[in-house]
Amino acid sequence: MRTLWILAFLAVAVVVSAAAGILIGTVAIGPGDVIAALLGSNDVSGTIIRELRLPRVLGAALVGGSLATAGALLQGLLRNPLADPFVTGTSAGATLAAVAAIALGATAPIVPLAAFAGALAAVTIVWRLARLGGSTTVLTVLLAGVVLTSFVGAVVTFILVSSDRLALRLRAVLGWLQGGVSVISWDELAVAAVIVAAGLGFALFLAHRLDAYAFGEETAATLGVDPDRTTTAVLAATALLSGAAVALAGLVGFVGLVVPHALRFAIGATHRRLIPASFFAGAAALVLADLGARVVLSPAELPVGAITGLVGAPFFLALLVRSRRIVV
Amino acid sequence: MRSRVVAFLAVLLLTLAACGGAVSVSPPPSVTASPFPAVLTDFQNRSVTVPARPERLVSIGPSITAFLFALGAGPRVVGVDDFSDEPAEAATREHVGGIKVNFEKVVALKPDLVFTVKFSDGTIEKLQSASLNVLVVDPQSVSDVAKTATLRGKAVGADGEALSRSIQQRVDAVKAKTATLTARPRVYHEIDASDPTKIFTVGPGSYINDLIDIAGGTNIAARAASAYPQLSAEEILRTDPEIIVLAASDYAAKPAQVGARQGWSVIAAVKSGHIFTIEPNLINRPGPRVGEAAEAYAKIVHPELFR
Repeated sequence: MRTLWILAFLAVAVVVSAAAGILIGTVAIGPGDVIAALLGSNDVSGTIIRELRLPRVLGAALVGGSLATAGALLQGLLRNPLADPFVTGTSAGATLAAVAAIALGATAPIVPLAAFAGALAAVTIVWRLARLGGSTTVLTVLLAGVVLTSFVGAVVTFILVSSDRLALRLRAVLGWLQGGVSVISWDELAVAAVIVAAGLGFALFLAHRLDAYAFGEETAATLGVDPDRTTTAVLAATALLSGAAVALAGLVGFVGLVVPHALRFAIGATHRRLIPASFFAGAAALVLADLGARVVLSPAELPVGAITGLVGAPFFLALLVRSRRIVV
Repeated sequence: MRSRVVAFLAVLLLTLAACGGAVSVSPPPSVTASPFPAVLTDFQNRSVTVPARPERLVSIGPSITAFLFALGAGPRVVGVDDFSDEPAEAATREHVGGIKVNFEKVVALKPDLVFTVKFSDGTIEKLQSASLNVLVVDPQSVSDVAKTATLRGKAVGADGEALSRSIQQRVDAVKAKTATLTARPRVYHEIDASDPTKIFTVGPGSYINDLIDIAGGTNIAARAASAYPQLSAEEILRTDPEIIVLAASDYAAKPAQVGARQGWSVIAAVKSGHIFTIEPNLINRPGPRVGEAAEAYAKIVHPELFR
């Protein structure tokens, strides 16, 4: 019952933060005009609200929800509270594939698919690396993520710097690497929404298996959960969600780490609750972070990755200190 | 990853700064009337003495290179920056770097005078500490460009006055047609829309802002806080430009792409199809072609007056 209340509360939080995101922007538009705009008013305010702010807010919600859900999945799979798409290098893998796709001239629907493939490759590599020692310890996962992220960083920098020489139109990638929600069109949003819906559905389907996983792989096996198939499925769902998030907003850190972790305190570690709660809370958190990015230095705009990094990095450090004390 | 991105962005910002960024406009330089030694005041208000007619010139800035060739000093130019490609002959000179100046190369060329645009990263100080004679010339308004012809001429021992007059006449001819116009269309000039939420345009104190004004237009960002402000798409929609001007380059957006941007169909310029491209080197470089630049821009803003 308490869980239902929390889920309802989080759903309301998404709606409220989305309303704030739509009401506040660089051009001042009164609440009355905003409502008229949403009902289809035929002036410039209407276009600004419907065609610019609404897709951006929806995009931020999708990105935040996806990252938080992917974080919950990775934390469950690795039994590691410090995992999320950003620190494990999954987002970096998606970024590399997406940049490579853009460099090769790919357009809207191909880029998220490439990002998915890159995320899948990266998260699989991290998983394998983390298991090299036989057990997935916190530090091996983080080190694997660091190695992967810096390698991808080097390759992306190489592509970017040589892009001028190759006459590629890659300057758009610069803003994107900082993490920023810049939804360009409804088509782009629709493609991402389909991928996110698939990933989220998959994640909900896998929830009870992850719960069995919490007791260790041997115990999970005795409960009738096939560890290899479950692992593969979780990695695929994680890649779907991280790939869509990267395709929409580039590298946004720490949402996937902080949100599911904080929710564990509120509603416990049961994935059937944790996964939908993570999606809602992540969506609300990133819509607010994106709003913050727009207003903190207004009229100048911060990349949303700077906001999530400011909040998330200290949180991450605190967790790291704790996880060293409590042996994971 | 992030630090690399930050480094890359820093380089991008430097480029903008080196291309004549948000620096305050200096008072018009004064010129003492004598051949050599010539005592000149440059754009950083420094007194620069050119003891004798310089025979080995290094030019850091495409607009400077174009001016030196226009003044007939081309044969004495021994080194140029990587972007100097006007006139074509200029590109055959030794290259001394672009965003980052290669100091060793400059020194090795043994120049007796180095012309440079403004830098905000210590480049000029470093050139001076290498015992080079450095003259900073970086006009940011159309009227200053014409005046600098005189200064540059004095520095190299050429007739800058004549060039200055011919440039000024051409600009004045455009101004004569547009100065009294009451219909001044709203113009949005796009510098870079790589990030569709933060689009670079031109603001007050920039050279292109001046060109828009001379061409008889009203820059939609004329009251922005900086010379190269970033606008959100929301603000561009609100200001409703009647004319959109893009750079005609591989990197810039194409008119059809701009018209197809989400929400932009409500903009007057998109509805009327008044989206134009202009040669970027012509309008980005405050060089001797400033009169031609004013004419080209005026043809876009007031085609009825300039055929």
